Amino acid sequence: MSTAAVATSASSLPYTPPSRLFRRRMGIFAALALFLAVAGAALKFEPWLLITDFHYLVRLAGEMLPPRIELLWTKPSLYSSVAETIAMAVLGTLAGASIAFGLALFAAGNTTPHPFVRTFVRFGFGAERATPNFVVLLVLLIAVGFGPFAGVLALTIGSIGMFGKLFADAIEQVDPAPIEAINTVGATRWQVIRYAILPQVLPSVVANGFYAFDVNLRAAIALGVYGGGGLGFELQLAMKVLRYQDVLALILLIVVLVTLMERVSDFLRRRILGSTAAL
Amino acid sequence: MPRISRVMTPPHLASRRPSGLRRLVRPALIAGALAVLVAWSADQCKVSLAELAQGAVRGVEVLGFFFPPDWSAMSELLGPALITVLLAAVATPLGVALSLLFGLAAARNLAPAWLRTPARMLIGLERALPEIIILLLLVAALGVGPFPGVIALAIGSIGMLGKLLADAIEEIDARVLESVETVGATRWQVIRHAVIPEVLPSFLANAIFRFEVNIRASVLLGAVGAGGIGFELSKAMSLLEYERAMMAVLVTLALVFGAERISDALRRRVLDGGKLQ
Repeated sequence: MSTAAVATSASSLPYTPPSRLFRRRMGIFAALALFLAVAGAALKFEPWLLITDFHYLVRLAGEMLPPRIELLWTKPSLYSSVAETIAMAVLGTLAGASIAFGLALFAAGNTTPHPFVRTFVRFGFGAERATPNFVVLLVLLIAVGFGPFAGVLALTIGSIGMFGKLFADAIEQVDPAPIEAINTVGATRWQVIRYAILPQVLPSVVANGFYAFDVNLRAAIALGVYGGGGLGFELQLAMKVLRYQDVLALILLIVVLVTLMERVSDFLRRRILGSTAAL
Repeated sequence: MPRISRVMTPPHLASRRPSGLRRLVRPALIAGALAVLVAWSADQCKVSLAELAQGAVRGVEVLGFFFPPDWSAMSELLGPALITVLLAAVATPLGVALSLLFGLAAARNLAPAWLRTPARMLIGLERALPEIIILLLLVAALGVGPFPGVIALAIGSIGMLGKLLADAIEEIDARVLESVETVGATRWQVIRHAVIPEVLPSFLANAIFRFEVNIRASVLLGAVGAGGIGFELSKAMSLLEYERAMMAVLVTLALVFGAERISDALRRRVLDGGKLQ
């Protein structure tokens, strides 16, 4: 019954020309399509390659199957690579977070010693965030040589920009009432930070820390490909010598590792924050 | 008596005030666990402070090689920089289209289980894989060039955008979908008239953010053969032309900064527009 009512009212509507919103949307779509065509041509991006070259993909898949799962027990060094990757992410996250928190105090409007310092530190965070991790790694590889240590340092530096900005924003958003309250009873700057600011930002620091660990674990694998050690390095080695069955086994291992660690960090975050506050 | 006081404490405060012993034990446990974790990690990564001190000295020395940047290389690097931007610009819409399909297929309130489970699994699989691995595989199959780069970036978008979209769709108020269904809308009409309008602003904002991410990623992928500024950078590094490499870094910084600004502005517009409608 209600359907019929709607149908009649719809058919009795007079013709209306396309609305401005609709025309604007179509304009945006057309512009986007045109841009894609031009940009694709400029790049020599040939989408039909996906069809004409598809047999190469099939061949690669054929070479990768079946994955050489035996690697898990025939190659014990794999486990130290896994440990190395996890350790890189852990250290990079913790070190990056600690340094970033210290700097964030200078970058937050309500704790900075001088507005100029705030601008300067914030600019540094921005520049760091804009620098790709692997550029940092390339420099570090020359400074400390190949291996996980360079990876840790790259992840540490790479975490500072993101953490620093997030922490500084969190500090700027704290409720000023507790700060004023303990200021009036004569607290030093350090005591204000310890008793009025830290308790308020701790949940967000912890939550961001776990998030950054997830990001850094993936980054640790990616950096390994460029020479940072760990699983990424193993993967790149296997790729160089064209052992694609090993490659697939390693990829599966990476997927399992990342998924598992995400679960673990999710669980821990909930355990730790659950009692503090529902963030 | 203690029972009464517990009742009197507001629940959100009660949960914040563990008993005296717990208040001491918990931070101690956490600190202890952290210390063990750090010690183990440092051992695994062969971290040594001596090496760090040495490395710091050498690092400063190395940084010296990079200055002054080779400004004359700037004009040669603008072309590759444009390629990097175009890679991201072509890959992002493709990735958005793919994510739209995956996101719709992975939402609990839209897709049947036979479609949802594999879609969620593929999204999870993609999220777990760094783009660089996808690119390495594509390069192994298709050779070097912009094509594998674009495809890798497009696939790389699925994990993030697809998951966010699926989650956003699942959070849509069930009554909105039901009200469209009760007047006899087909599944496609439900998607078109109830789902899309609900999730569009946040999806667009995420897509714009992904463009920013893709610019960074396309620099990274360039270094392993997708071309563009990343390729120039790693080439300059391996030829030990550090001053040229520094110029490439500066161009990259400008690119990423610019992309961040544009994406911030666009995102704010999209989200505000969404609120007004």
